[in-house]
Parts: sequence; C-alpha cells; structure tokens
Amino acid sequence: MMSDNATSRTLLVCCGTGCLANKAAAVADALDAACPEASVKRTGCNGFCENGPIVKVQPDDISYYRVKPEHAEKIAASLGHGPVMSLLFRDADKKLVLRQADNPFYAPQHKVALRNIGTIDPLAIDDYLDAGGYRALERALAMEPDEIIAEVTASGLRGRGGAGFPTGVKWASARAEEVFPKYVCCNGDEGDPGAFMDRSILEGDPHSVIEGLAITALAIGAEQGFLYIRDEYGLACANVAAALGAAEARGYIGTNIRGSGRRLRLEIVRGGGAFVCGESTALMASIEGRLGEPRAKYVRSVQRGLWDKPTVLNNVETLANIPVIIAQGGVRFAEIGTEGSKGTKVFSLVGKVERTGLVEVPMGVTLRHLIFDIGGGIRRGRRFKAVQTGGPSGGCIPEGLLDLPVDFDTLTEKGAMMGSGGMIVMDEHDCMVEVARYYVKFLSDESCGKCTPCREGLRQMLAILTDLCEGRGQQGDIELLERLGATMKESSLCALGQSAPNPVLSTIAHFRDEYAAHIEEGRCPAGVCPALTTFVIDSEACTSCGACKKACPVDVISGDKDTPYEIARDGCIACGSCRESCRFDAVSAHQRKEALA
Amino acid sequence: MISITVNGRVCACEEGEYLLDVAERNGMLIPHLCYHRGLLPIGACRVCIVEVIERGRSKVVASCVYPVRDGIEVHTASPRIREQRSVIIALLLSLAPGSTEIKRLALQLGADIPRLVKAPESDTCVLCGRCTAACEALGTGAIAKVGRGVTKKIAAPFDGMPPDCIGCGSCAHVCPTGTIAYEHTDESVSVWGREFELMRCTGCNAPLMTREQHDFLTRKGGESPELLCERCGKQGVARKLKTRERYLG
Repeated sequence: MMSDNATSRTLLVCCGTGCLANKAAAVADALDAACPEASVKRTGCNGFCENGPIVKVQPDDISYYRVKPEHAEKIAASLGHGPVMSLLFRDADKKLVLRQADNPFYAPQHKVALRNIGTIDPLAIDDYLDAGGYRALERALAMEPDEIIAEVTASGLRGRGGAGFPTGVKWASARAEEVFPKYVCCNGDEGDPGAFMDRSILEGDPHSVIEGLAITALAIGAEQGFLYIRDEYGLACANVAAALGAAEARGYIGTNIRGSGRRLRLEIVRGGGAFVCGESTALMASIEGRLGEPRAKYVRSVQRGLWDKPTVLNNVETLANIPVIIAQGGVRFAEIGTEGSKGTKVFSLVGKVERTGLVEVPMGVTLRHLIFDIGGGIRRGRRFKAVQTGGPSGGCIPEGLLDLPVDFDTLTEKGAMMGSGGMIVMDEHDCMVEVARYYVKFLSDESCGKCTPCREGLRQMLAILTDLCEGRGQQGDIELLERLGATMKESSLCALGQSAPNPVLSTIAHFRDEYAAHIEEGRCPAGVCPALTTFVIDSEACTSCGACKKACPVDVISGDKDTPYEIARDGCIACGSCRESCRFDAVSAHQRKEALA
Repeated sequence: MISITVNGRVCACEEGEYLLDVAERNGMLIPHLCYHRGLLPIGACRVCIVEVIERGRSKVVASCVYPVRDGIEVHTASPRIREQRSVIIALLLSLAPGSTEIKRLALQLGADIPRLVKAPESDTCVLCGRCTAACEALGTGAIAKVGRGVTKKIAAPFDGMPPDCIGCGSCAHVCPTGTIAYEHTDESVSVWGREFELMRCTGCNAPLMTREQHDFLTRKGGESPELLCERCGKQGVARKLKTRERYLG
C-alpha cells in the first residue's frame, strides 16, 4: 500500500551549496534508500538556506525544513498519509506551514530568474526542456537579430550585475559594429561578501544562462563565448560544464544549432579568485591570459573588448532573464517592476534578520518590505540600524530611508546602490565605523592596485579608520575621509575605485555622530570596537544561565548559580560574545577607560 | 581634422588622438608620471587628470588615455582638477617620500597632507608601471606587477633575481623616480641584483651589449646580430657603399 503512495510522488531535495554543507547529499541518498519507488530529485538552491536541507514532496506540495538523513524513514512512511509535522516550517505565530507558497519567506516573492531553481534537476536537460527550456532559443533562431534586440529593448531589462546598463542598448551597439569575430561573455565572478545570487543560478539552472548566452550570440552575431566563473564556485563550474555538454549533445550549442547552420562555441574560464576580475575590462584581460587589471573604458567593450573585438558581457542573472523575455515577449516582462527598472531582482538577504536567504521580488518593492515582511524583521527584537546594499561598493542605508523603492536609480541618488543584490542587515549592535573599516579592508586587499587614487586612497582610509576604531582618531579625520573619498570617486580608473569610498561616505552621511563619538570621546556607541569598549554583567538581570561563560573564548567569566557572574578585567578581549549570547540583556557595553590588555 | 578647446584655446587635432598629446603639442603641459612617449599609455598614476565637458556634461578623465572627440572643452587646471590632483600627489608623496620628482610635484602643487601615513623615508617607487610596460614591450617580461591591492609591488619571480632579465636597462631608463638601480661599468652592468658581462664592439672594442641581450636578439631575429657599435656599424655601411661606388664607377 505504501509503495502505491510512493510511486506517484517526487521528492525534491535541495542540493544547493548551503544544503549540501548540511548533509543534503546524505538526505537524498537516505530518501533514495527509504522510498525506492518514489522519484528523488536533487535540485538547486531553494534560497532559504538557513533552514536547509529542504525537501519538497510533490504533488502534495509539502515542504520540510532542516531535514536530516535519519528523517528519511519517517518521510517515506508518511507519503500519502499526511505530513511529518515535526519537519514543517513554523511561522512567527508558531503556526505550521504546509506549502512553500504559504511560507512568509516565499509568499511575497515573484520568481523569474529563479523560476526553475528548486524544481528541476540542474544535471537533467530534460527537466529544463519540460519546464519550457530552449523554446526561446528555437524562437530566436527564427527571428532576425534586430527583432531579438527589439524584444530585449522593449523589456526594459537592465544589467543585473550592478551598473544597470540597458541590455538592449548594449546588444544593439555590439551588433552595429562591423568587426568580426565578436564575442559573448557571461560574468559569473560574483564576489561581494554575503552575496550568492549568481552562484545559485549557475548551480541550480545552468541551462537558463546558457540559453540566454546563446540568444545573445544570435542577436549580435557572435560564434564564440565564454562563461567566466569564479574558481571558488566549484559546484557551479561542475554543473555548468555538465550542462554545456548536454546542450551541445542536443544541438542547442555547437557547430549547427538545431540544424539552423548557426554555430556557437561556449567554454568555461575559471577566475583566479580576484574580486576585481568581476570588472568588465579586468575580466576580459583575465580571459585573455593577462594580468587582471582594468583598462580605461573611454572605448567601450562593445566596440573593443576581448582581443580588441566587439564583446557583450552580461551578468548571470541578466542572462537568466533573457529566455523569459524572448519566450513571452518583452512587453509582458516590462509589466513587472517600476518605470525605470523593469522585471524582478534577486537579493541575498543576510545579516541580523529573522529569515535570511535568496529572495526574488519585483523591482520597486521597499526595503522595509524586504527586511520586515520577507525577512521577518530584526533578530531577537533588536532595533534596525542600517542595511548595507550593493556589496563593498554600495552604501549603508539608515532607517529613515527604508520606505524607498528598491531599483537601480533611487538608491544611487541616496549614495548607496542596489548593485548586484547583496543586502546585509545590521542592528544596534553594529558599529558603522567598524563596518566602513571592514569594507575598506576588503577593498584594499581586492583592489587591483593599478591606479593611485584607489590603491593609495584605500590604504590611507584604512589607516584612518583603524585609528578611529582603536581610539587614535584625530580632529579633522572625518573631513579628510570625505576629501579622499571625493577624489577617489572621480579620478579612479574603474568602477571599483570610483565606488570604493561609498561605504565610508555613506556611513559618514548617515551616522556622522558615531564617527564623532569615536574621535571626540573615544567611545564606540554600539559597543563593538574592542579598544573602546568593556562589558559588564548586571547581576539584577542575570539569571545565572551560564550562556555567557560558555560563549567566552578567553574564559574570563566566572560565576555559578550561587555566585554572581562577573567578567574579569584581565584577559578580556572585549569581543562581545557574552553580550550576543545573553538572552536576558544582562550584559551591557560601556566605554573603556583603561587600555586594552 | 577636428577641433577641441583646451583652457579656452582652440586646438586642431585628429579624432582619437590622446588628449595629453594634443595639449602638450599646443604648449599646455599636464603633469604626469606613468605616461611615456615610448610606451603604450598605462593610465595608472592619474596625475594627468583633466576636466572634460562634452554635451554639457563634465567629467574627470585621465588625459593620457582619453581619445579626443570633436568639440570637447578641456580644463587642465580647474579648481576641481587642482584639488584632486593635489590629493593624488599627496597620496603619492606618502607612498614615496624619498622621491625628488614627487617632492618637486608636491611643492609645485602645494600638495601635502601631514595626517597621511608615510612609507619609510627611503621609498621612491610610485607603482606607475612604466618599468613593467617597458619590459613587456621589449618581449622579455622579466619583471612584473605582483599581487594586488595595497600589497601590489614590482618584482621578479619569487622576489629573487629575474632569470629572464637581459640587462637591457629599459626599466631603469623609463622609471620616473629613479627607483631601479642600474650600474654601468666598462666591463659589466648590474640591475635587479644581477651582474651582466658586456660584449664588445668587434670594430672599436667599446662595450656594446650584454651577452643575454645578444642571445635575446639572436633568438628574436633568427640570426646573430653583428657585434658593432652604432659608429662602427655606420662606418661599415659607408665603406660598403664606397666600394660599391668604385665598383660601379
């Protein structure tokens, strides 16, 4: 009887990088063994990684979270008999959620770029074909290049890598060039800390990117293309390589695309791990085998790109949108989004929110909607302080601007940017000077180091910000940071350098008081900078639970249920682990008077 | 032929010429470090930034790599440019406090920000990339930019002595701050910690080129070049011509 129930069912096991790290492969194997009659499918990332591994039962549309291999028997036995209650999601009111569509994390989402991810097996081209895949390419083969470009232009699609350049305009410029060969390129060098939109697409739906790239090639008249994927994305590289093989075997790329006589050779180039190689000209230099340094872009890549030939470089997410646009028409795509920013955008929502993960929403939703409705608000009831958008080149947006619509233009006007979609939420326990220092440190390591304003500006900014965080700030430091930033913004060679001061300038713009407190009072208001902070346990509020003692990495907390808990001054490194671990707000930060040991 | 205005003066030029060349040809000098007439433009030091106004929009560009377009208006020392250039020089001064060239520029532009963290007093390299560009252009690629970000430096493989160096001295010749030590005696040259024996002119016995340079030219040209100095080479040609004349006469 059980086998009857099992045969008709498909178990979708999320095998994205996050879930794999939590033993999703073992879960899938265990399910295979426990219910041999059911079809177990290993899919790409569902986006709700912190609750992974995720298993979905179809057609019942039941979603299980945090599934372990040992749950396989239970799931197998339950097929056709109702859900395993203990593995369902509980919303904020502790109510059990059966369907993914009813989960507050997924309900407000609108999936276009992520349309297939989590429902198809990325290694099975037939899954992609069943989902309507490669129909757009077939359609494009019957269209004139100008018609293809007209559809993309009508869609209003803008580059998802961060700059937001209109894709149709880029393609039209490359098509107009009378130079051959031409190249198409996919930018999969996603490197913003905390961002994994492109990785998820490459891993979970590689054919959508390949199809998008093939359509790009038809539109501009290219016969060769490259997928530049950062080397750290092992699973993405493997899945794309497998997909390329399958697509070629079925004639979707190769020497005679679907019998049309058109040809396209695609190959993967693995990036060497330099953040700057996500910059278009540095990326192309890297593909050519040269040093990954940007060049002046007064002559654009669509005119002279790879090997000085016209080249179109599109981001992974941009390309994943292309098949939808060609299949359904640009006008229909343009119905989603705002006046200037059409379609949807994928964000990786991380940091101090209740629910973190990958979300895709229509352009123009507010930051508040993203953070409080989808993200479920700030963890542990703390106060929202800022959201860092757009990766290291982006900026910090304060509470007062949370009702801004998220699109290409609005955030840029406020000194931040939507960028490629990284979104890091910070609460009252985050120091904005330290946040700026963190990003400047990242950039000073990851700048290519070619031009003076970026390399030397970052070096000096890092020194000044470190001084601020360690209590050596001087009068005039804020103004000097602003002065350096202004020069870096205008005179740096590439977009990395031009946007490098954003983390500093935006935090100064919105949190100037916090900078001033560091300089004038030697005080870190958020209680983060160790040299300026000390922690005290309030014996009234303390419940003697011992969580802080366990969390202390240097064992300087003493106490038990009879003796009050105390932090010894000697040896304390003011890391703040005690405060973070305390559920009763009994640990508070104070200004440090004596030097840090 | 197109025309642009630089600091209010109309300059005739060809479309696509680099702005710095046009300005200098018309007698307006723009300070620069990484730009060198004998090398492809690098665009790294940003000292040569200027303000360009095109179709009503103003932007800051590096004049050494900016191809001119008809009708653009250029300002080489507007307040905005003076401010940014002086910040860039101040940054370079903190990187290479030992360089007389940078000190001169800093003095000239009033650029010094004492709060900046200074490198050791003896440091002179400004990482402009001329040396590596010259080395690459000559085909040896013996030295390179190593690393990235603030740790970027010019070095030979594994920080050792460059095995591919031919001792030509081009790197030292183009260096704007005299950072690369290049010693030259009658017998040998030394650069990058290596000593190179000099081969002599078969005509006058004057020191001519390093053995490695000779090998390199042989490899590149497919045949061994004559070991003659410029003077002896010319004399040889003249002698040949004379003989030929006599023969013809």
